[in-house]
Amino acid sequence: MTYFANLFVKFSLTFSLALTLAIGLFVGAFALSSPALAHKVIASAYADGDAIEGEIGFSNGTMAKNVVVEVLDDSGAKLGEVTTDEEGIFRYQPTKAIALTFRADLGQGHVALYRMTEDELPQMDGASVTQQTSTPAPSVSSQDAPSSSNTAALGLSESAIASLVQQSIKAEMAALQSDLRKAVRLETKPLRKEIAAYKEKNDLQTILGGVGYIIGLFGIGFYVVARREANKVKKVAS
Amino acid sequence: MHIIDAALTNDVVMGGAVLTLAGLGLGLRKLDMDLIPAAGILSATFFVASLIHVPLGHSSVHLIMNGLAGLILGWAAFPALFVGLLLQAIFFAFGGITVLGVNAINIAGPAVIVGLLFRPFVIGASSAIKAAILGGLAGALAISLTTLFVGISLALSEESLIPAIKLVFLAHIPVMIIEGLLSAAAVYMIHTVKPELFDVMRQIDDTKDETEGWS
Repeated sequence: MTYFANLFVKFSLTFSLALTLAIGLFVGAFALSSPALAHKVIASAYADGDAIEGEIGFSNGTMAKNVVVEVLDDSGAKLGEVTTDEEGIFRYQPTKAIALTFRADLGQGHVALYRMTEDELPQMDGASVTQQTSTPAPSVSSQDAPSSSNTAALGLSESAIASLVQQSIKAEMAALQSDLRKAVRLETKPLRKEIAAYKEKNDLQTILGGVGYIIGLFGIGFYVVARREANKVKKVAS
Repeated sequence: MHIIDAALTNDVVMGGAVLTLAGLGLGLRKLDMDLIPAAGILSATFFVASLIHVPLGHSSVHLIMNGLAGLILGWAAFPALFVGLLLQAIFFAFGGITVLGVNAINIAGPAVIVGLLFRPFVIGASSAIKAAILGGLAGALAISLTTLFVGISLALSEESLIPAIKLVFLAHIPVMIIEGLLSAAAVYMIHTVKPELFDVMRQIDDTKDETEGWS
């Protein structure tokens, strides 16, 4: 039995040694190379007007330039193909209101995957309908306006003026919307990058947890084997 | 070095899983009690070492230390490295659960090969220096074999073979050098400070037909 006790002491001693070594290694590495700890692929896509715009890059901030992006449906059938530009951005014009998957092969086993569900898609029907209804209306009113502008001061009803104003506001808002979207996207870009980098962070707690799991697993293995050996010894003795 | 989910075709993933199961079974049978602490340490070493990334161009490289694991554990390196890979996949989404089999083959396979090739010579080396040189060679060879395996598994799926291997291999030349030096240092240290470990290894090699491992 002293043999087992001896082994056990050895076991725990060597493990504590390994643990300190691991922590040292890790902290050292962190001090040396913290910014680019991971090299994972990040992909995202969002509705932009009636098209889908997406971004593909690596978690360290470099973007995937001139990469072919395949557009797939849920059954895996290819719907189309687009290419990213110099900033890793691609645009795709969806034709059907179904969930889409964007897949890009960046080489060396790096694959970008992003799935867009139906409710994330640009409002194709809605957008086109409002455009269709709103564009004819101002054109009608603008045709009417010159002829009635002279008489506007005289007798255009207030409700007519109000609807005219509303229509022009709507048209302007629609024109502004894409600019707004672009501005918001630009403003949140660093945030998105930071979140992506944060997700990639391997913190010390998790690493220690992993080392703990390893110790535990091998401890269990050690216990199982030791028990078996002990039983064998007992059988031989009896 | 770790291949991620969705990068490989199903056939490759399945093949990797089957081979890994076989390797695990064999490795667990060869995992003698005296080797378990060493297996745990080498597993933890691999786990931590491969989380340290050194940026290199688009991608980054990291140490693996599978050569040393194979040298000391032989077939038992398989379960040891598998545990490390499993935990990396669970905790850091590093690699991926579905490609675990392929990654295990890519990393533990070279470890076992190197172990089988170099172990007898390292154990029988007359001086610490000789053992260290052999250990260094083993460490470097394990990495180059791993890059070869990764290249092949990528090539089996999609990319053309030669550029895939070339890219991975070239990126890992510094890793080979560093791992070779580290393995050499480790073997040198074991030889001078704790030669009993080699005795344990020799015993297991000699009595492998009589002892029953745990499976």
